[in-house]
Amino acid sequence: MPRIVREATVAWEGTVSRGSGVVRASSSGAFDLPVTIASRIADPEGKTSPEELLAAAHATCFVTSLGGELAKAGTPPERLDVHCTITMDEVEGMGHRIVSSAISARGSAAGADAASFAQAAEAADAGCPFSALIKASATVAIDAKLEGGT
Amino acid sequence: MADRIANVSWSGSLIEGSGTIERVGSGAFGPLEVSWAARAEDSDGRTSPEELIAAAHATCFSMALSHGLAQAGMPADRLESSATVTFVPGTGITKIALSVRGSVPGMDEAAFGAAAQAAKENCPVSKALAAVPEITLDASLS
Repeated sequence: MPRIVREATVAWEGTVSRGSGVVRASSSGAFDLPVTIASRIADPEGKTSPEELLAAAHATCFVTSLGGELAKAGTPPERLDVHCTITMDEVEGMGHRIVSSAISARGSAAGADAASFAQAAEAADAGCPFSALIKASATVAIDAKLEGGT
Repeated sequence: MADRIANVSWSGSLIEGSGTIERVGSGAFGPLEVSWAARAEDSDGRTSPEELIAAAHATCFSMALSHGLAQAGMPADRLESSATVTFVPGTGITKIALSVRGSVPGMDEAAFGAAAQAAKENCPVSKALAAVPEITLDASLS
């Protein structure tokens, strides 16, 4: 199996409370974004955060898995919309922890029905490497519904 | 409690289809195109879940290290961090390599190494990804 390697870099200046950083997608060059601790914990003020990047990672990982599972079942999707919410909370005695990732998936796929779509979503969760990892430390909830199904 | 959200759309099969990270809650990025080919082969300018995980981990680690150094009375002038995520399709994410070069006035290598190790162990993304089989750290002063 091929090994796929992806890298990101961060340049940080100053302390956490007053400092700020820039995170860069160095493998693809797809983004270059400012980050601060204030925007991570409180109002984002247009800045991304580790948790938002994980939400984007999980949603992307899940949507590709779901597309793959539906195609495998002979019902490739016309369109899938996946929304992911990552929650970080202060847990007593443990500081800030990522406690949950909630996925909501809506889609249309000719020939799929509610049951086969739900089954594909379950298989997508099992097959998405990010889901597998984060389940060891946080709750993963999947809510998947077929739209305009046959 | 902080909730952070992302929306992604997809059409078509895994191999031939493609998707878009439409938007994120902060509005900081998107739309960004994604595809299986870009994820598994040449990135061709497109991001992927593994690159986003690398970005999340490098950012979380940098913040934790900056905080730890400031608390120890040794605030960093500058930290340059990276995270490299290795993904083997069919197996999963097998490794994350963290690396940091720090400019910290008055600090010696051993103390910096210990602070970096503590940041690696304790940052929330490290805790969330503790099931990754191998997470390595290469830390030194620049």
